[in-house]
Amino acid sequence: MADFIPTRRAVLAGAATLPFVAGTARAADGITVATWGGDYANLLRANVDEPLMTPQGIAVTQDTGDEDPRVAKLFAQRRLPRGADDVVCLQAVRAYEVQDAGLLEQLDVEKVPNLAHTLPNLRSSFYGPHIWSPQVIIYNPDRVPDPPKTFTDLLDPKWKGKVGVADINYFYIMMAAALATTGDPNKVEDPAARDLALKLNANGLRLYPSTDSIGAGVRSGEIDVGLMWHARVLMWQNAGIPVRAQFPTEGSVLYFSGMVVPKNAANKAGAFRYINAMMEPSAQRSFADRMGYQPTVANAPLDGALGQRLALPNPAPNMMLPNYGIVGKLQGPTSEWWKKNVQRA
Amino acid sequence: MPDVGALTFAAPVRRAGAGAAVLLGPATVAVSVMLLVPLALLLRFSLNIYDARELMIEAVTGANYWRFVTDPFYRGVLRTTLGVAVASTALCLMLGLPLAYRLARMGGRWKSLCMVAVVLPLFVGSTVRMVGWMILFAHGGMVDTVMRRLTGQGLELMYTTFAVISGVVSITLPFAVLTMQSTIETIDRRLEEAALSLGAAPGQCFWRVVWPLALPGTATAGVLCFILAMNAYATPYLLGGPRFQMIAPLLYWEFSTNNNWPFASAMALMLMTVTLTLTALSGVLIPRRYRV
Repeated sequence: MADFIPTRRAVLAGAATLPFVAGTARAADGITVATWGGDYANLLRANVDEPLMTPQGIAVTQDTGDEDPRVAKLFAQRRLPRGADDVVCLQAVRAYEVQDAGLLEQLDVEKVPNLAHTLPNLRSSFYGPHIWSPQVIIYNPDRVPDPPKTFTDLLDPKWKGKVGVADINYFYIMMAAALATTGDPNKVEDPAARDLALKLNANGLRLYPSTDSIGAGVRSGEIDVGLMWHARVLMWQNAGIPVRAQFPTEGSVLYFSGMVVPKNAANKAGAFRYINAMMEPSAQRSFADRMGYQPTVANAPLDGALGQRLALPNPAPNMMLPNYGIVGKLQGPTSEWWKKNVQRA
Repeated sequence: MPDVGALTFAAPVRRAGAGAAVLLGPATVAVSVMLLVPLALLLRFSLNIYDARELMIEAVTGANYWRFVTDPFYRGVLRTTLGVAVASTALCLMLGLPLAYRLARMGGRWKSLCMVAVVLPLFVGSTVRMVGWMILFAHGGMVDTVMRRLTGQGLELMYTTFAVISGVVSITLPFAVLTMQSTIETIDRRLEEAALSLGAAPGQCFWRVVWPLALPGTATAGVLCFILAMNAYATPYLLGGPRFQMIAPLLYWEFSTNNNWPFASAMALMLMTVTLTLTALSGVLIPRRYRV
């Protein structure tokens, strides 16, 4: 019996190998996806994790939270041999910021076959495009018979105190201001764009802490007009909020979101499969149906009632995809400027 | 013989000292590790240089501190933070003192019930309580609706200084009441009876007898409220909205959104320094003869 009693040294040696054993098991069987919570996480679970990943034998763990801490974590873990997350959901502008720091794995059709179906203007060498939606002027049709047609129309004194935007979307507001004043959404630091944002602020702009709070503001009559993604308008309409979209005549900046794989992801093979799964037509259509976002792949056409609901105006509005290589570097300075000049004003 | 006496006296003292060391040791070590090590790390980070690509470049510079004290924006945010902390502390003391006095002099079942009522809000998380305030203050909320019906004009309190101070006071008031109540309970009731029997009016009795004796406890309550208010995060974030800036949410934003850890670390240490300095200076306000 004494032979079966392990020595102290053997126990310590065994314990020391446990993290590696656990890590290997995680690498083989599961992946961790860092994502937004709420509807987005639920839809990922219902349309990607369970129907598409589980049959492949890959268990998905969601690490839900805000985007900023996700980016901070990517930077903080850059020196670690293994990061905590295998797939990280980011807006394109943040993804380019992280890529610029050299933290992301390259993606191609060898690793992610569905990238072959990506819409031409959304292609990238490190980004798995997931959803997109144009930014529009929103208005309450019960109270606004003649909606604003351009960003500059929002400066009309009749909208004083009645225009609302989400503070977290400040970069998109600045891109819209740049588009309206210079015709180029990348010129967020142009004095004319900044001047337009300041004038809008002086006209009693209401800043909301979250995207959802704008819908509540429209419902309660606190605001009558604002700027938001077209997808949100569709969601709010489904929720019974009186809101409609007006595509600005100068064009719409695109909200564009997707997924990246950190260079130090523990299970890169699983991460590539996950990005491939989220680009499957079935998953793309589900996000379009439930959240109102447009698919990023050409092989998921929206037809029937769904196609009509998400149809863009005819003739097609001018939709502007920013040059993320440029604006990705302007995120920090613009955030600082917004905080000091718009929030604090 | 005196030597023997000295020996028999010293041994229990040494034993008591060893016992105290054993009791204090684990907590002291835990606090040292969990508080001092992160603070030392924070101090080290604050001397580094921020870089968008590298995140942090090792250096020894006071540039982050210099930026904080020279930039009017950050000085303004610090002023706002101090303003909220001072106003909410003053309100807590003004509202809490009569309540604490009444509770201390109360007896029987009512006292237990009132104590539970004071402590009850602490059972609910501050974020949950803030959501309650949001419902109360929002456009179309209770206050707005009642005012609209009464006066025809709504009253929006959401995202105002009033909303933030109300929220902070609602969190810190129970701490102030409990601290002051325990101090007032130690004041001998017969002192008040003596003052009254010698012809002092009730107000005079309170200000000349109770107030000076309760001052150390009141100061402790004030310090507690001040520290909590200076470091408020959820309240200004939820009730103040994006335009209302206090240091704690701002340094989190600097840390998480801008990824500028060196500057965020400097801000955190500046906040701590200002809070500790003002807390230490508050002792000067208490006359020497009343200090504990």
